[in-house]
Amino acid sequence: MKAKFSFRDFSLLISLLVIWGFFAVVSPQYLSARNLSALTVELAITATLALGMLLVILPGHIDLSVGSGVGLIGGIAAVLVFDHDWPAALAFLPAIAVALLLWFAQGTLIVRQRIPAFIITLGGLLIFKGVFWLVINTHTVPVSHGGRPNLFSLLTTYYLPQFASYALIAVVLVALVVVTLRGRSRRAGMGFSVDDPELTFMKLFLTAQGLLLFVLTVNQFRGIPLSVVILGAVALLIQVITRHTPFGRHLYAIGGNEEAAFVSGVPVQKVVIGAYTLLGGIVAVTGLMQTAYGGASTTTVGDQMELDAIAACVIGGTSLRGGRGTVLGVIFGALIMASLLNGMTLLAVAPEMKFIVRGVVLTLAVWMDVKLAKR
Amino acid sequence: MPALLEARAITKRFPGVTALRDVSFDLVPGEIHALCGENGAGKSTLIKLLSGLHAHGSYAGEFSVEGHVAQFRSIADAQQAGIAVIYQELAMVPELTIAENLFLGCEPRRGLLINWEKLYTDARTVLAKVGLDIAADTPVGRLGVGQQQLVEIAKALSKHTRILILDEPTAALAEREVDTLLALLRDLRAHGIACIYISHKLDEVFAVADRITVLRDGATISTRIASATSKNAVIHDMVGREITDLFPRTAHHPGEILLRVTGLNVAPEAGAAARLYNVSFDVRAGEVLGIGGLMGAGRTELLMHLFGAWGVRLGGEVNLCGKNLDAASPVEALAGGLALVSEDRKRYGLVLERDIGFNLSLSSITRMRRGLLVDEETEVHTNQKFFTSLRVKAPSLETVVGKLSGGNQQKVVIGKALMTEPHVVFLDEPTRGIDVGAKIEVYELINRLTGEGKAVVLVSSELPELMGMSDRILMLHDGEVGGIFSKTEATQEALLHAAMGRNPASV
Repeated sequence: MKAKFSFRDFSLLISLLVIWGFFAVVSPQYLSARNLSALTVELAITATLALGMLLVILPGHIDLSVGSGVGLIGGIAAVLVFDHDWPAALAFLPAIAVALLLWFAQGTLIVRQRIPAFIITLGGLLIFKGVFWLVINTHTVPVSHGGRPNLFSLLTTYYLPQFASYALIAVVLVALVVVTLRGRSRRAGMGFSVDDPELTFMKLFLTAQGLLLFVLTVNQFRGIPLSVVILGAVALLIQVITRHTPFGRHLYAIGGNEEAAFVSGVPVQKVVIGAYTLLGGIVAVTGLMQTAYGGASTTTVGDQMELDAIAACVIGGTSLRGGRGTVLGVIFGALIMASLLNGMTLLAVAPEMKFIVRGVVLTLAVWMDVKLAKR
Repeated sequence: MPALLEARAITKRFPGVTALRDVSFDLVPGEIHALCGENGAGKSTLIKLLSGLHAHGSYAGEFSVEGHVAQFRSIADAQQAGIAVIYQELAMVPELTIAENLFLGCEPRRGLLINWEKLYTDARTVLAKVGLDIAADTPVGRLGVGQQQLVEIAKALSKHTRILILDEPTAALAEREVDTLLALLRDLRAHGIACIYISHKLDEVFAVADRITVLRDGATISTRIASATSKNAVIHDMVGREITDLFPRTAHHPGEILLRVTGLNVAPEAGAAARLYNVSFDVRAGEVLGIGGLMGAGRTELLMHLFGAWGVRLGGEVNLCGKNLDAASPVEALAGGLALVSEDRKRYGLVLERDIGFNLSLSSITRMRRGLLVDEETEVHTNQKFFTSLRVKAPSLETVVGKLSGGNQQKVVIGKALMTEPHVVFLDEPTRGIDVGAKIEVYELINRLTGEGKAVVLVSSELPELMGMSDRILMLHDGEVGGIFSKTEATQEALLHAAMGRNPASV
């Protein structure tokens, strides 16, 4: 509903620029087309999962099982493709179905039996991990035979051709301008306050610059990664769901005040189960991408991804108590996490330091959020 | 005898309200002094003051304990001076044992460790004082409410309490437990402990009290010797107020019956004892049915149950606009044409961190769709209509609800209910905590609703409001219908008698 730029959004943007600036200086390759392409693929995976997580954090719940789920779902598809010679597209279907079912079940347990989500999904984390290892028999299962590309492997290795990349960005830009201007005139027509034309123009102009810079850079390498297109589609979907459907309103209402939502006629249980089921679908998509990114399903796929997803939400201004959080914020949060991780990998930072830095950044972000909220 | 506690000319103001006006009160050692008055008469405020909850300096006037002027800044100060309050809601940890609860926060120690032996010996001594013959290592959660209350009193006694304040102590007790409690109070009186006893139940008051002080509208009306007065005199003191012409209720011609409730029995949860028994009433189109009763009579529970938000129905039928309604959740109640404005708007009414528009359309948003998406044009248009017609005072629909005044918040809650286009509207204490101007707007709105042929059920603890705005009044007493009165039958005395479950003829 609102299209205002808050100081929070700016603070995220500034942190991001600082991170990029720092790595650009210490490691010139950081801004190379090749590395930025890799970064966007990693971002796409983290951000997709984080957007799913947003759906259950908004009504005040949590999900610790998504990391194991990512491994399990990717594992199921890999086994079907590699061990049973299923075509990749066909193998996706049972994998996705299993995810929807598992998350529907978890959501149902949480609201019908009134068991805290933390506990149910902690159980899920362990159970899915075990089942995952059973499924792949603790082996490494490649996503395709002999490295021949299939739909599965292409999820993270396909890039839109240059021309298509430009065309896509152009379409996105035009859509953005149309939506912004239409929304603006509609708000004005309904008597709401709107940004001044200059600010609106500046925002659009900056966004356009950013998008253009992005496409120019990735086109120097191989074009826009397919996984980024998938992220875009998921983000658009979640944006529409959270902002423009009754279901989305209900998510915010439950997180803001569950009792009031219930008395106001919000079908609280159905909504929460729905949110978990949707998250299941997103876990499936993430699982396929993450497994494809590694080239094979191995026992460590998905490890700790739940923490990155939660961290991205929180850094992006999502309240763990529910009721507050936006798609744009979560994407920024994921971008910060992915940029940090990628930069540190490039610098060959020791894994132990990576953990510490991620923890510090997360803590810092929450602390800053609390500080800003007090003002 | 010198006063144990003496309050002189106490005045306590809250923003917009004077809760206590020049109240004087005294308590002598070994006395049980009952404090009576309607809801909102100022009893709780006085108690909060005496127990240190309203700190010294937040009120005018002074009170002294044993001749020393009391300057309590906290509950701890009051406890130090020997004052303890037993509240309606008991404050104990159910998982801990009786003994652990008794000495919570002041456990006897040996070095750094708890001296369990002493803890349990001391517990036994204290329990004996209240005549509770239960092993001290029983978890408190396993006790009945009456026994828990005795533990609370024992806890107070263990802190050398000389003034015991009981706030509606028998509200949740069975008859036998009440007798035990009253006997204990008499026993304590014999041991020189003074007691301030607050109760709506005049039978108990007369059974146990030495003196009775009546508060009304924040002022002391009378202090009488119990043995030299009558229940009727006390009731008269409690209600004797002129009803001003605050209530613009206009005449109506009731139409067909919209809501009919027959023989309703409801328990708080499956397996529990019924809280509402055999409740029957009906409401007609264009009519305001007032529901009154004392605190805990089951008014809110009745509304919340009919709305699908409380309790398990053991029996009875509810018929809404000719259709059977066994609303299992508010979703169904709303779909059937019932809307509720809850008494606790912050808890059950509003998402405080969201804006006015979000809250207004929350109950109606599923119906405002174009395909799967919210039809934002319709939504804003409708919101704007209610925003204007209810005269919500705020810059725009995008103002965050938490920033509004109580009256304007209430208008948002009412708007949310009305937007669902209900046939029957439940208003539970719709004017609580809002200023006079907003109150009158609510009353005018009630007239408008009945004018449009809707039925209104109005729950209120304020008798004047109930009498001023209702066409008929139902008084609840302990979950039962104490009486239904037409406008001409409804005198304050008759209503109060019904609320206390007393037949006026037998007085």
